[in-house]
This record gives sequence, structure tokens and C-alpha cells, in this order.
Amino acid sequence: MADLQITSVTKRFGETPVLNGVTLDIADSEFVSLVGPSGCGKSTLLRVIAGLETPDSGAVSIGGANVTTTRAADRNLSMVFQSYALYPHLTVAENIAVPLRMRQLTHLQRMPLIGGLLPGARGHRQSIAAAVNAATEMLEIKSLLDRKPGQLSGGQRQRVALARALVRDPAAFLLDEPLSNLDAKLRVQTRAEIAELHRRLNATFIYVTHDQVEAMTMSDRIAVMMGGEILQCATPEVIYEDPDDIRVAEFIGSPKINILPIERVGHQLQIFGRPLEWRLPPGSPQIMQLGLRPEMVHLTKRTPRLRGRVAHVENLGAEVFAHVMVDDGAMRVTLRASPAEQSMLVLGAEVGLGFNTRAAMIFDADGKRLRKIETMVGTAVEVA
Amino acid sequence: MTREWWKHLVLVLGAIVVLAPFYMMVSYSFKSPGEIDRGEGGFFGRQETMIDPRCVALRQPGRAEIEDASSRFPGQDDADVQAALLAETENDCSMRPVVFNYTKAFTEAPLLRYLLNGVIVTVSIFLIQVVVALPAAYALAKLRFWGRETVFGLVLFCLLIPVHAIALPLYIMLAKLGLTNTYAALIVPWTISVFGIFLMRQFFMTVPDDLIDAARMDGMSEFAIVWRVMLPTAIPALLAFAIFSIVAHWNDYFWPRIVVTGNRDLFTPPLGLREFKGDGDGSFFGPMMATATVIVTPLIVVFLIAQRRFVEGITLSGMK
Amino acid sequence: MAVLDAGAITQATAGNREARTAWGLTAPALLLMVLILLVPVVVAGVLSFTNYSLGNASFDWVGAENYERLFTRSTYEKMFIATFTYVVTVVPISVGLGLGAALLLHSLGRIGDIYKTIYFLPVMATLLAMAIAWEFMLHPTIGMVNRTLAMACGTWLEVVPFVANGCAGGFPLWLGDRDYAIWVVCFIGIWQGFGFNMVLYLAGLTAVHRELYHAAEMDGAKSAWERFRLVTWPALGPTTVFVVTISCIRAFQVFDTVEAFWPQGGGPNKSAYVMMFAIFEKGVQQNLIGMGSAITMLFLAFVMSLTLIQRWLVERKVHYG
Ligand SMILES: Nc1ncnc2c1ncn2[C@@H]1O[C@H](COP(=O)(O)OP(=O)(O)O)[C@@H](O)[C@H]1O
Ligand SMILES: [Mg+2]
Repeated sequence: MADLQITSVTKRFGETPVLNGVTLDIADSEFVSLVGPSGCGKSTLLRVIAGLETPDSGAVSIGGANVTTTRAADRNLSMVFQSYALYPHLTVAENIAVPLRMRQLTHLQRMPLIGGLLPGARGHRQSIAAAVNAATEMLEIKSLLDRKPGQLSGGQRQRVALARALVRDPAAFLLDEPLSNLDAKLRVQTRAEIAELHRRLNATFIYVTHDQVEAMTMSDRIAVMMGGEILQCATPEVIYEDPDDIRVAEFIGSPKINILPIERVGHQLQIFGRPLEWRLPPGSPQIMQLGLRPEMVHLTKRTPRLRGRVAHVENLGAEVFAHVMVDDGAMRVTLRASPAEQSMLVLGAEVGLGFNTRAAMIFDADGKRLRKIETMVGTAVEVA
Repeated sequence: MTREWWKHLVLVLGAIVVLAPFYMMVSYSFKSPGEIDRGEGGFFGRQETMIDPRCVALRQPGRAEIEDASSRFPGQDDADVQAALLAETENDCSMRPVVFNYTKAFTEAPLLRYLLNGVIVTVSIFLIQVVVALPAAYALAKLRFWGRETVFGLVLFCLLIPVHAIALPLYIMLAKLGLTNTYAALIVPWTISVFGIFLMRQFFMTVPDDLIDAARMDGMSEFAIVWRVMLPTAIPALLAFAIFSIVAHWNDYFWPRIVVTGNRDLFTPPLGLREFKGDGDGSFFGPMMATATVIVTPLIVVFLIAQRRFVEGITLSGMK
Repeated sequence: MAVLDAGAITQATAGNREARTAWGLTAPALLLMVLILLVPVVVAGVLSFTNYSLGNASFDWVGAENYERLFTRSTYEKMFIATFTYVVTVVPISVGLGLGAALLLHSLGRIGDIYKTIYFLPVMATLLAMAIAWEFMLHPTIGMVNRTLAMACGTWLEVVPFVANGCAGGFPLWLGDRDYAIWVVCFIGIWQGFGFNMVLYLAGLTAVHRELYHAAEMDGAKSAWERFRLVTWPALGPTTVFVVTISCIRAFQVFDTVEAFWPQGGGPNKSAYVMMFAIFEKGVQQNLIGMGSAITMLFLAFVMSLTLIQRWLVERKVHYG
């Protein structure tokens, strides 16, 4: 087990830049998810870590040793591929044994027939068989050992791919969207199992996914990637509640966060032309954006900050999401309500909305978080 | 590129060996007999005008011509007139080697006729193959009937029999029917393509049943479904099969060699070339290579234009 | 109940109608298949036990005499030797070269396409025309091959015994030399066929999933050879079975080159007297149809068993995803 450092890695394919200076530190036995929309360079970053791609600049080090120019086979990493990449002509047992056979047996020992007769081969073979056994037991696929990948279901193949990665004791495990080819139910189940495996092995995991739920539920830390950059790397709670960037706030959370334009007029902040009671520090920008998670918006009759008409209601049983058109129908705000409040949410009805100013996030026009302004308006409100 | 230079070296050497006979064939078709003999002239030859000895021999002036022509050369005796006429003939018979070779290719033997025969035979074979194979393939893929498995088993069995292998009994049967030396003899043995049936059946298996049911709901007969629904969906597979079939039969030499004897009107291009070789002497290398070039060129040109389709078509037999 | 019965009856008649159309659609193919493929096999089988000749009103049953000759006469021994020499030489080399070229081209990517085009040309070209071109190339005096070889005379290349002998005593006659004749035919067979195998292998290679190579690398397969053994070769298994079978069947059918080079007799000292040529010569030219049929039957036995072996090999493999 080891820690990993990725320092200012860049990579371009022909003219297209795919990674633009990625820096990421991963501690020993940490579970880090790389999450982002597809095409943002997650797989490329993972493959740079694995050694399957060489970065154009920057460095990768594992356990303190710089491995930027070390080839993949020598980095002592295990990888689970999105397509599982099982060898179709080998049985499950043989597939799982490959990483050990390749590393522990010499060319001659690997030969069929005569290989078994060579000195030392027996002991190796027995230890390999034992390791395969242990890995298959851990993943509960003992009954499949003699099958070929073609005879397995998607979920079973996924387990075999995991077992092949687990059979060794690598510096880190790399997983590239290992659940994306499974059906929804199996995905939820396997998600929990991988998280548990991580706790049991206490190993370093780097997990690529485009699914924010996977990232949120499994990780110690989440690195949100977009356009070849890591926007923020922090614990799931921080990523959700305290994002640095409007793109992170928008990517994480379902339903999506509400982003509303706010404007400074003199010392006053206005939303859709209506003044908010906040006072602004001098030098604040003219145009800003307000981020409000749906659960921070509530229905209110007294002094609503916003007014609008109910456009759509989704009842999920335990909670209700309503879409309210505000600013004369130009903007849509999503809010979470309790089922008890549903009687108010009649389609087309006019409702008032309020929100807790402490939970509101303020971003500048480019989407950077303005924490300084937030703290100041926050205290201002409390004083008021 | 730098690390891969050795690959290019190997591949270029291979390419030279592969291209050598093509180079030689085209080059000889440009050169005069002398240049071929002495191995000179680079690729195109020097293209110096040459005199066709046969043309001169054929137009050797006789007594009558000399007398006729004497009025044109007043005051000269017969020997002079003959010499002058000879000079005229040689002038008429002299031409560039490339012109000589290609004119000879088309005039010594009815090469155009051969090419036409080649087209007639390959196109007829392909069309009949499709007309026979497509309905059968449709029935085997999409219709449920008693005996279907048996018929398909028969198709699989027949795939084991290459037509060339049973050429002798086929030849005997055609001879008994008095059909040797006819177009029919060239075409009939190839009308059934078991491979075509197999291929189309595999392709039709992937066509959704709903499409056929929809056609039935629209009131089409099964026959109409084959030609109006299945045929259009099968165009890509059919195109590949066409290439496969046409290349095989344009180039085929064995079967025409057996069933066409002597009757030049039925010669396919390879037979024509063979005959050329049989009666050619050394001085005819040029025209013969011109003939060979003419025969090989059509497929090669189409291949270079539509390379991908061709490779697909030829490797079709590798498909499951 | 009555309603149900009526339903069953309509269904039965509908089934009948479908069956009738189906038979109608398959009938032409079925008829031709029987007449053109199956009957000739039977005819050849029957005639191989006779001394039939075209034009003769009658014939005698000669029992297994034709087959006996096939296995005792020296002509046929030469036929078997020539045919098997050809098959055993051409198949492995053209398959090996095809695979090698495919691997090289695959590793080069798009730059390799030009080679692919070139190597495929002989597959497209009329073999007979190309055989004649090769004949010119191999002409003992004015052929390009011997001229090129002669250029090596007087250079350091003379250390090669073959070149030294050639410079001293003349280079081989190739087609006229019984030690070389069959090998020249083999060479042309390889020249013509390996491009086809290459294209099939290229198709096989593009079907190999790229992530498998990455997995192999992660699993510690460091050398190109190890990756080939672990990923490429197994993935090409089905292609190889097919390529070998089709190469064998084509190799057994070699005819055009032999007939073009030696219209009479199948090469110097019958050293290139291959089976197809024997069928043609005995059966068609010499009108010894019984003998020709016997060779035909033997030929069919070879070719059919090859295909059966291939099918068995393919079916033995479990399907993988
Ligand atoms: N081998 C390659 N050659 C060219 N472009 C590539 C290659 N691999 C990935 N890309 C491009 O790089 C971008 C990022 O790809 P990837 O890292 O696979 O994204 P993802 O985040 O979905 O895993 C994509 O736009 C993709 O098209
Ligand atoms: Mg990816």
C-alpha cells in the first residue's frame, strides 16, 4: 500500500488538450473518486497513473518514488477496466491467476507441459492456486472457477475482474467505471461491496465514475474533474455543502442546485429587481450568482423573497419536488417540500418562496465562490 | 517513425517482390521487342518509332502494284519504284512501341470480344446466383416449415463441395447434353452459390421479424417481401457478395479451359490470353503483356477506387 | 370448444400455406443444388469404377482398378508428392506471412494502408496473367530475376554459394529445372495468397479489444511476445482456423500456374503434376474418365475432410462474449 502524488500532469491527443495541469495527492489507504461528466479526462488521468499513457509534462509518484517513466507492468498497480477486459480464452481461475503467473513464473515455467516439471515451479503454482482461492472466496465466485468469461453474466464478469485485481497486493487499486455496465439494482449492491472491500483491505483506491451518487457514497474524498482540470478535491460533505466552484455545485446534487442571478445596486443586493436585505462590503462585483440547493428553499406566506407559479410537481413519496417559475416565468426554481405541504403546490398556483441566507452560496460571474462576501452578508443578516 | 524504420524496411522489400511482376507486365507492354530482349529502356522504353515486320511483310509490293504506281514516279525504273513503295510501306507500318503493342493486342485476337464475354459471363452468373439464392435464404431464415432443418443441413453439406473439384463429372454431364462450347456451359455450374445462400441466410437472421410482419400487414405476398423488403435491406451484404463473385469468375481459368475448346467467340479473357501465349513467338511479348494488362486492369482500377468494399467482399468468406 | 378447434384449423392451414410458399422459394435452389453439386459427386463416384470414355456407347466395370493404379503407378506418386509439397509449403508460409504482415501493419496504423493495398493486388489480379508475367520474370536469359541476380556477380555477394555457382555456371533455369519447378509454383502460390490471409488477420486484429492489451500490461506481460501469447494469438484462434482451412482448400486447387507454365505434362519430370492438373489431363484431355473420376473422388475426400476438421475445431470452442 502506498500514497500517490500527481503533479501538474498535462496530456494532449494531437491538438486536443485532455489534461491541463492536474495535481492530486492521495494518502495511503484512501478511497478517492474521480468524478466528472464523460469526456472530461478521468480515464486518461487514471491511465496516466497506471502508466498506460505517458504524460506530456508533470510527474506521477507512488510511495515517494517517481514513476513517471516507469512502464505500467512495473508500477505494481491493479486495475479494473470498464469493459472488464477478461481474457476470453481463459477460465475464470486462469484469468485471476494471470497477474501472478506473469510475475512469479519464468518464461520456461509458464510453458505448458514441461513448465510443471521445472524446479521451483511447483511451489509457485501452489501459492498461486492458494491466492486465487482466497480472492475468489472473498468475492464469492468459487462456483465459477472453471467457466469462461463468455459464460458469465455481466455482474459475474465484474466480480472476476475485481478478483483479478485483488489477487495481488498492489500499491493501489485503479477502477475505471467498474459499475457502469451493470443494471441499477446490481450497481447499488456492488457499490456497497466495493466500499466494504476497501475497508477490509485498507488499501489505496482510485475510483473513476461519472455517477455522483457512487462518488458521494463510497469515497473518502472526491475529486471533481471538468475540462481536464480538477476543480476541487475534498470530502463528500465539503463538496456538497461548500463547493469552490459553481460547476462543482452544479454537477453534484440531485435535483440540481438553483442558480439565480443577483445584482448589486449601490450598496444593495437585488434579486430580479427586488432588494435583499443584505448589505455588501465595498468593492463587491456588480453581477453575481446565487446558489440555492432545493432543500434550502421553502414555501412561505410571509415576506417571501421570491414569488412564482407552480409549473410542475414531482411526488417521490417521502419528499416532494416542485418547480416554480419565477421572474415572470423566465427562471425556474426547484424546491423540496414535505408531503404535508403538497396541498399548496397546485399547478399554476402562485406561491411565495423563502430561503435561509446562511445556506446561500454566492459566486462571481465566472463561477468562483465569493466566501468573503458570504460571511459578511451572513453576519449582516444576523445583526439585522 | 524512427523506431519503426525496420518495419518499413521489411514492408518495402515485401512490396517490391509483390509489385515486381506488375511492374514488368506494364513495362513490357510499353517496350519494343528489341528493348525487351536486351532489357533496356527503363519503365516506359525509349518509344522510338519501330517498324512492324509483319505489317511490312503483308504489304510487300507485287508486280501489279509496282506498275500501278509507276505513273506516280515518272522516269524511274521498276527497281526504284519498288524501293520507293517499300519505303512508303515502312513509313505506314512504323509506329511507337506502345501503340504497336496495344493495337496488336486488340487486332491479333478479338480481345474486345473476350472482354465482352467476360462481362456477360460474370454478370449473368451473379444475377442468377442472386435470383436463386435470395428466396431460398429468406425461407431458411424467416419461414417456419417442415423440412427446414434438412434443407439447411443440405446447404451446409454442399458448402463442402468446391465446384472446381467436381469439374470432371459436370463436364461429362454438359457434354452429354451437348452443351459444351456454349455460354450455358460457362454459366450453369455457377448458378447455385451455396455460399451465397448461407451468407444471405445469416444476414436475414439479423433482420427483425417485425419488419416482415409489418410488410405482411401491408398485404405483401411472401414473394414481394423477398424482393421489396429483404433485397433492399440486404444491399450491403449483396454488394460484398457481388465483388466476391465477380472477382472469382472474371479471373477463373480452370472451368472455361475445360468447357470451351477452340471456339474463340466464347473465350473469356484468361482463355484469350492463354491462346495468345500458345501461338506467340518471342517478338510478341509486348502485345501479350499489353493483353495481360488490359485483362488485369479493370478489376485493379475498381479495387483502387472502392478499396474498402473490395476487401470486405473478398474477406466475406471469413464472416460467420 | 368448437371455437378453439376452428382456431386450430385456421392455424394449421396458415402453417400449410407458409410451408408451401417456403418450399416454393427454396425449390429452385434445392433443384440446382442437387443437379449441380450432388449428382456430379455420385456420377464421379460411379464412373471411378468404370473405364468410361466420352463418345463410347458403353463401358466396363473395372472394380477398384482405377484406385489401385492411383496408389501404385509412379505418375500418381509424383502427383501426390507435387500436391502435398505444394500444400505443405504454401499453407504455412502464406499463413505465417499473412499474420506477420497483418501484425506489422496493425502496429503502424493508418500509414500501413498503402502496404495493405499493395499486398492485396495479387489477390485481385487474374492469376493466369500474373503467372505469365512471372514466367517472363523467370526467363533464364532475358528474365528480370536472373538479370538481377547477375548484377550480384563480381560483388561481395559472391560469398553466397548460390550466387557464386550462378556466376560461374549460369543461374537456374527455374521453370525448366526439375529441382526448382515445384518451388517456383509454390512461391507464386504464396505471392498470390498471403495478402488474402493478411486481410483476414487484419480483420481479426481490429476485433481484439484494446483494453485487453492494457489489462495484459497491468498484469505484468512486459514483452511484446508475452502480450501476443496472452491476448493476440488466442483472439486470432478462430481466424487462424479459418485462414488455414481456406488456404489448404485453395492450395489443393492449384491449377492456373501449372497449366500456364507447362501445358503438356505438369513440369519437368512431372515435378509439378498437381491433382487438379491430373484431373484435367486424364479426364478431359486424354478422355480417361474413369481415372479422372477416381482422382476427383480422392480430391473431394481431402477437401471435405479439411472443412469438416475446421468445423469441428470451430464448434469445439465455446462462444465468448
Ligand atoms: N487515445 C486517444 N486518442 C485521442 N483522443 C483520446 C484518446 N483517449 C481519449 N481521448 C479523448 O480525450 C478526452 C477524454 O477522454 P477520457 O479520459 O476517456 O474521458 P472520460 O472522462 O469520459 O473517461 C475525450 O474527448 C476523448 O475523445
Ligand atoms: Mg472513461
